[in-house]
Amino acid sequence: MQTQNIPTEELQGIVGEEHVREAAAEDAVDGVEPSFVVEPGTVEETSEVMKLATREGLAVSPRGGGTKMGLGNPPREVDIILSTARMDGIIEHVPGDQIVRVQTGLRLRDLQENLAESDQMLGVDPPEEGATVGGIVAANSSGPRRLRYGTVRDLIIGIKVVLADGTVAKAGGKVVKNVAGYDLSKLFTGSLGTLGVIAEANFRLHPIRETARTVFVEVDDHEKIADVVQELTHSSLSQFVLDALEMRWEGGRGVIAALFEGIEPAVEAQSSAATEVLRSHGEMSVLGEDDGKAFWEHFARRPWEAGDVGLKIGAPPSELTAVLASVLGAAERTGARVSLSGHAGTGVTFAGLSGGEAGLVEVVEEVREIRLPRGGSVVVQEAPLTVKERLDVWGTGGDYLGLTRRVKEKFDPGYTMNPGRFLGGI
Amino acid sequence: MDREQLIETMQEILGPEGVIHKHEELRTYECDGLMNYRVIPDLVVLPESAEQVQQIVKTCYDEGIPFVARGSGTGLSGGALPIESGVLIVLTRLRRILEVDIPNGRVVVEPGVINVWVSQEVADEGYYYAPDPASQIVSSIGGNLAENSGGVHCLKYGFTTNHVMGAEVVLPDGSVVHIGGGKAPDAPGYELLGAFVGSEGTLGIATKITLRILRQPEDVRTLLAAFKDTEEAGGAVSGIIGGGIVPAAIEMMDALTIEAVEKQISPGFPEAGAILIVELDGPEAEVEHQFEHVIRVCEENDASEIRVAEDDEERALFWKGRKAAFGAMGSISSDYYVQDGVVPRTELGAVLKKISDLSEEYGLRVANVFHAGDGNLHPLVLYDNDAPGEAEKAEELAGEIVFACLEHGGSLTGEHGIGRDKMKYMPQMFTTDDMDVMQLLRCAFDPHRICNPGKIFPTPRLCGERPGPFHMHPVQKAGLAENF
Amino acid sequence: MTERGGGRNGSGGDDRYSATDSTERRDTEGTTGEEAMAEAIGAGSPEDVGQSTRAASDSIQQTVGADRAESGSYTFPAFDDHHPPEKELIDDCVHCGFCLPTCPTYVLFGEEMDSPRGRIYLMNKGLTEEPMNDEMVRHWDLCLGCMACVTACPSGVQYDKLIEATRGQVERRYERRADDKAFREMIFQFFPYPNRLRAVAAPMRLYQRFGIGDKLRRAGVMQRVPARMRAMEALLPDLPKEEKIPDLTGPVGERRRRVGVLTGCVQRVFFSPVNAATVRVLAAEGCEVVAPKQGCCGALSTHAGREEESLDFARKTIDTFEDLDLDNVVVNAAGCGSTMKEYGYLLRDDPEYAERAKAFSAKVRDVSEFLQELGPVAERNPLPVTAAYHDACHLAHAQGIRRQPRQTLKQIPGMEVKEIREAEVCCGSAGIYNMVEPEPAAELGERKANNILNTGAQMIVTSNPGCMLQIQSSLKKMGHGGLPMAHPMEVLDASLRGVPVETLLDK
Repeated sequence: MQTQNIPTEELQGIVGEEHVREAAAEDAVDGVEPSFVVEPGTVEETSEVMKLATREGLAVSPRGGGTKMGLGNPPREVDIILSTARMDGIIEHVPGDQIVRVQTGLRLRDLQENLAESDQMLGVDPPEEGATVGGIVAANSSGPRRLRYGTVRDLIIGIKVVLADGTVAKAGGKVVKNVAGYDLSKLFTGSLGTLGVIAEANFRLHPIRETARTVFVEVDDHEKIADVVQELTHSSLSQFVLDALEMRWEGGRGVIAALFEGIEPAVEAQSSAATEVLRSHGEMSVLGEDDGKAFWEHFARRPWEAGDVGLKIGAPPSELTAVLASVLGAAERTGARVSLSGHAGTGVTFAGLSGGEAGLVEVVEEVREIRLPRGGSVVVQEAPLTVKERLDVWGTGGDYLGLTRRVKEKFDPGYTMNPGRFLGGI
Repeated sequence: MDREQLIETMQEILGPEGVIHKHEELRTYECDGLMNYRVIPDLVVLPESAEQVQQIVKTCYDEGIPFVARGSGTGLSGGALPIESGVLIVLTRLRRILEVDIPNGRVVVEPGVINVWVSQEVADEGYYYAPDPASQIVSSIGGNLAENSGGVHCLKYGFTTNHVMGAEVVLPDGSVVHIGGGKAPDAPGYELLGAFVGSEGTLGIATKITLRILRQPEDVRTLLAAFKDTEEAGGAVSGIIGGGIVPAAIEMMDALTIEAVEKQISPGFPEAGAILIVELDGPEAEVEHQFEHVIRVCEENDASEIRVAEDDEERALFWKGRKAAFGAMGSISSDYYVQDGVVPRTELGAVLKKISDLSEEYGLRVANVFHAGDGNLHPLVLYDNDAPGEAEKAEELAGEIVFACLEHGGSLTGEHGIGRDKMKYMPQMFTTDDMDVMQLLRCAFDPHRICNPGKIFPTPRLCGERPGPFHMHPVQKAGLAENF
Repeated sequence: MTERGGGRNGSGGDDRYSATDSTERRDTEGTTGEEAMAEAIGAGSPEDVGQSTRAASDSIQQTVGADRAESGSYTFPAFDDHHPPEKELIDDCVHCGFCLPTCPTYVLFGEEMDSPRGRIYLMNKGLTEEPMNDEMVRHWDLCLGCMACVTACPSGVQYDKLIEATRGQVERRYERRADDKAFREMIFQFFPYPNRLRAVAAPMRLYQRFGIGDKLRRAGVMQRVPARMRAMEALLPDLPKEEKIPDLTGPVGERRRRVGVLTGCVQRVFFSPVNAATVRVLAAEGCEVVAPKQGCCGALSTHAGREEESLDFARKTIDTFEDLDLDNVVVNAAGCGSTMKEYGYLLRDDPEYAERAKAFSAKVRDVSEFLQELGPVAERNPLPVTAAYHDACHLAHAQGIRRQPRQTLKQIPGMEVKEIREAEVCCGSAGIYNMVEPEPAAELGERKANNILNTGAQMIVTSNPGCMLQIQSSLKKMGHGGLPMAHPMEVLDASLRGVPVETLLDK
């Protein structure tokens, strides 16, 4: 969308000619086509680019691996994609302190490979391939192991950001225990690129566990799922023992899976105990480390394909049955096909819906009507553009929108960063 | 509104028993756990409900009166230091546990609830609340929230911020918001709760707090190991953590601390240059295995004595000796100044050496007790207030220790917060830009700067104008409005 | 009183941090969960952890601002030179606040001025800048003197010495309101004088026999009687006929010790069976027991800061006992024993008595303490009963004696001792406190009574007449006035004499 006269030469002057290219169709964000893709190589270059953007009144959308560009509402406008692809180095890794400092353009996969050489890992395991560290921070991505290690906000200990007006600022540090100043690392987690560009991030790490066992059980009644989950959660196998507790429901069948990681005698004992608990509920299986890896690669993926509507529903774990019922009920009424998965141990459920568009919109509205008065959220994480035009992707009954807007207007008064994508159209 | 009217207004909201306005009584609130700074508040109010808190804050907002929130008043950085001509809002009477939700592992409490009460409440069900600062028998959840308190178990279990799931907050303008998902995870929007925890009471007052509770671990084992000096003990710490073990707790005490504790409490600690207390918890098989490793590492580092707690009493005794360390200092010195610095664990040895050098240089003893696992040090600078000049020397020495921590890649504070006490050191750790950007957050919550002003940041930032290049408002950019 | 500074393992006295101390309290109703939690924070046992949430959540009553007996008295400087609260002791306080959750008035009111930390702060300000006036005195008056804070303090602050010195100053330098003054005078005209108490006891028996109190209550007259008088009325125990004890009682079997006993004031008039039981027990354990004609030990006066009066009583008590060739002086009332162990400190300025007082104090023992020291020899007969043991503040906090009374009870076969939740929080008796500060005392009494009822025990055992009166009164108000109460010596006596348990429970 060429609404502005963008000073291309100046941009090239900042990052180098070869790092400014005209945007192509695949660079569009929810159908909004930017003019340029800019790849700065340093924080200073990033700052200069942002200064220019602010001066010229341009809208900027930061991008890492581009795996979650569909999150949020369609942007009001995008002039520049600011790609972090060139800033992909590990700044410092101190195994003895269990911390790492990275540039945010580094792919998570590459980071984990690197850390594995010291038998360490970052405790975040989102299923999406190709995500960068910056991306997982901005999107607050998580995977099954969040039960054990928490989410990004529990692991991030320092941050360096570039604001819309080019100001470079850091918060936190490289020590795990730190209460000096405000915790901006947390503020920026999940901010979806609307507060500034996340240039560097520091994390606390964990040792890679020696081995693993996976125990899973099949059930044919969705109401049984919650029972199994509750039983496991309140046994001695709960948090800090269980590494993951996930569920899937597809085609009338449900599977609940638990992951135990640790030393051989420990995981053996735990999987035996879990077997005892689960045995009465249905057909059970136990997998070793390697089979388990393959299992989880499949099991942890989101239950939707491109073109589907994908929902993320947050609710208290004890209400899992109600959540499932609301989705299944609504889907049945409208004839939509539905698959479900979720972090059953922490109360996050994913629903993948496919079918006629009108029906899908109805499902979302109905589920929101049922769930939102009870607290929690129903967010559309994936949807075709036509559906997004009919719905606000953010579904929450919260009372903090005003505060959210005030925060945004302090950090980005000109609405330079990803305008329109966030909560409340911010 | 003059003082008389303010008193009347507050008495109307709270009743006479909720308003303290007589001089001597106000004086008892002039400092919190840190006695170095004292300011007599203009008025002290003690609300009993969230609604009353809201009304008080609204009144302050309307009248432009600054206010400071206070829990049990045990903070060590002056975070609850009153503002002159301001109101001190004491939350000790909001002390109900509102809801216990075992199926979701959550408890909802009022801010005046004492930390340890939470664990007490859920102990029968086999649960507990993990963050355990040494002050936990008296510090309040609200205070823990403000400071993001840690404790001896935070290496493995995290800090308050990892265990707070939601909060009802009265903002400085008197409005109420609910941040964090509460019992539901992943609330959409910004991590407002994450930013609020640890904000030292400068962004608002939490009136209901949702906490996460954990199941009590299956097995707990504690040992005490004596070493020739802190260096050897530090080697053991590295060996333990290097072996891929994350102990539930790993604490170190030096010779001076051991001496004081023995004198005051007599837990029967061995005479040594340094003592390590290591605790492992979790599933039995795991704990067993890890414990063997820990013992091996201690032996490899020439531990002169290794004592495994035989039973719960002995374990309790080890911890009593550690947790009473600050108080016990009174027995070997008339005054002390406790610091709270963090260094990367790999730098512990070097920093301890630096502290020892500084201690010699200044001629003041420094006792060291600290969370060896996460590098959070509590050097206790011992001095005699009555000896001329010693108090100033002690403060200077404490400052030097802080600089040493920063020099080695650490932080100004691991648990106690910046408050008033460490404000002057902030520029050593953060640039002006860093602090200005942090204060943007404050401007969003508290544009009139009435909520605990004068804490954390040495140079307050004006919230109105942001210096810098002109930027167009999106409405204007869309051609729908003119600039005026 | 046992010294606080060094010497924690003094012989005879109890080491409050000793592991065995907590062992004795470990046979508790506390669940493994509670214990695990207590251990997690390094507490010796669940009782060390401070008040329970349920009780705290319910009682958010506070009486700040209500019924202030203000007189407008103003004295500057606050303290004179005669035994002001010592600066050195005040400086031991590092303002950590660990005393707050264990202080009964802080538990009730939730405000800093009514906590040990706050009171010490006021003392400090009084030493340096502030006058003695209504505000200061109000909060010192509200202190119960229970010394739970002394037990909790990690810095070893000797708050007991501080509050006693301060109360003495208040007596001298603060002019109370006329009615307040009169009421306190009246108390001290009666309570330290058994004969006067006895004289009042007779009409009180008639008062009770004819149910006058109940009639007044039903007629609504009681409501119009001032709070303090109502409090006193409610404290009236059911009065048995007074049992006298002989001047000299010989030992059963070989003589192991020769001891004197304090018969007390309230104890001898209202709880004479306790004295009788005490003498029998001591005799059964081989003691020759001397019970001379004696007066008040001065405990109430000491704790109220009435210095001259207390020293007078102290001297007379020493005179009474010192030439009787005694191995020990045995006391069955916690408050009295605590003060008598302090005589050495109290009379430190008196050249004539200083040394004698120290020597005297060294001989003083609480009866449970004494029996455990001596070692039991007499045969105990079974008493199958569950008893809730209540720690009197002046026994547990002031003297550090917790283990011995429990041991005494547990040595009786069939006896099950139940621990009371919030054991370290005062019942509200606190000397004359429940008469001069009836509202907070009533709240504390109710709290204690609830905690006791929750143990499900068949009877209550405690070593202090004041506690007995207070708890009895609170239970009666709650409709549980029939719950039997006894002194440990009454229980042991019943066991030694082979008395059936029903007799105990009929009390």
